[in-house]
Amino acid sequence: MTALKYILRDTWRLIVNHWVLGLLTLITAGVMLWILGITTLFSLNLEHLLSRLESELAVQAYLHKDSTLDIEEIAQRIQDLEYVYSIKIYSPSDSLAKLQEKMGSQSRALDILGDNPIPYNFEIHVRRAEDIDPLVDSLKAMPEVEDVVYAGMVVKRISALSRISSRVAVIMFVLAVIITALVVYNTIHISLYSRREEIAIMYLVGATRAYIATPFVLEGTLLALIGAIIAAGGIVGAYFPGMDMIQANMPLLKSSLLTDKAIIWRFCGLLAGFGATLGWVCSYLVVSRFINSITRPE
Amino acid sequence: MNINFSGVTKIFDPDIVALSNVSFNIEQGEFVYIIGQTGSGKSTLLRLITRELLPTSGVAAVGGFDLRRMRKSDVPYYRRDVGLVAQDFKLIPSLTVYENIAFVMEAMSVPKKIVAERAHDVINQVGLWRRKNMKPSQLSGGEQQRVAIARALANSPSLFIADEPTGNLDFHTAAEVMKILFAINASGVTVVMSTHNQAIVNSSRQRVIELESGRLIRDEKGGTY
Repeated sequence: MTALKYILRDTWRLIVNHWVLGLLTLITAGVMLWILGITTLFSLNLEHLLSRLESELAVQAYLHKDSTLDIEEIAQRIQDLEYVYSIKIYSPSDSLAKLQEKMGSQSRALDILGDNPIPYNFEIHVRRAEDIDPLVDSLKAMPEVEDVVYAGMVVKRISALSRISSRVAVIMFVLAVIITALVVYNTIHISLYSRREEIAIMYLVGATRAYIATPFVLEGTLLALIGAIIAAGGIVGAYFPGMDMIQANMPLLKSSLLTDKAIIWRFCGLLAGFGATLGWVCSYLVVSRFINSITRPE
Repeated sequence: MNINFSGVTKIFDPDIVALSNVSFNIEQGEFVYIIGQTGSGKSTLLRLITRELLPTSGVAAVGGFDLRRMRKSDVPYYRRDVGLVAQDFKLIPSLTVYENIAFVMEAMSVPKKIVAERAHDVINQVGLWRRKNMKPSQLSGGEQQRVAIARALANSPSLFIADEPTGNLDFHTAAEVMKILFAINASGVTVVMSTHNQAIVNSSRQRVIELESGRLIRDEKGGTY
């Protein structure tokens, strides 16, 4: 307990003695973590939106009109295919009723057709847009299936957008982590370098490496944590008004956005934890390296 | 704390022989002067005792422990039992006299109250109580040396290493510092001191170990410069 008091006092001294550098680190860490948080939230929203769109994507598989096979058995075989999430069977009469409903007042035109020309068909849903193509290939390979209808271009665009958004998020994440880590690393290195003689003296008069190192590690961790908390505050301040604006202007997206406050607060908590961990790891690395080099006997 | 050097050689890169096959034994409670010209290996010898350096060959043992085999994590605990006074004082410039002395006890997690009492004692012992709130830069050379001595005394060491402690001091101040060192030795602490000061060595007639170009050329009890 006594040692902890001394260590906390020394940490405070370090922060006060290098307050300009500390402030700079805090601001940089805050800005980078804010960018990291906002990019991640943007990416999460996009993923959420895409997964909703993807879940609404359907492949329509039509059987041969004169097919005499057991419909339930074919449906089960399709259900067993790798990419299928759900399947719904439409009888010819169901399909016609659906079409009539869609056509509304123009549905009388269907009477010209005489007999119902629509065969048994299945509406098949997938989990991801990129599953559509292999599913279509599998369906086309089935002899009972006469035709497969799906929105090919939409599928490809959604799939591409999903890939790009994931890559951008990963790049932003890596960049923000590297920049924050470098800034914390350099701050602690400068702090250590400016006190290198003191550190050597401390070690010479009997201070343990842990006693010398802990205030520096705490300094780095604390700066990154405060930076992350500021970033989290900035995210909350920007995210909810931003979401309100998007929902007001694009009502279609309303149900596809992440607006649950509990999720966003939890995300901010994670960001603060991530910032503190990043600060701790960077400080620990630089302090161990530095103290090793300065205390190694020749 | 006794010191035993057996065939100790220290070679710095590239092939600079600082000490060559040095052997001696210092018993608990002895006062020993290490003398010799600049570059003779005096500081190297003292830095081997404090384990700032490791011997290239031979055995350097203090208190029965081979310093080369000592674990890295044990070094701070060993150094707490070794009071060190250097010619350049090695005080922390950002701390006051009191804080410089308190620090070595704080590093051992000594409670604040005991730190205050002990710091008060050792600062009084070197006659600097009125200067306790000053920074090293506000003190004279002699005063800084006395702070370094007080710091070395703070943990009640068994061994006191002084590397030319009077090197930067005038005759009168050097005599005061020596008085303190003799008092420390009188309490049973082993004192090993390197010096160039002939007057000090000749006036006190203690054991003298003389080095020349890294070799031990004289080890004499009650010797002179």
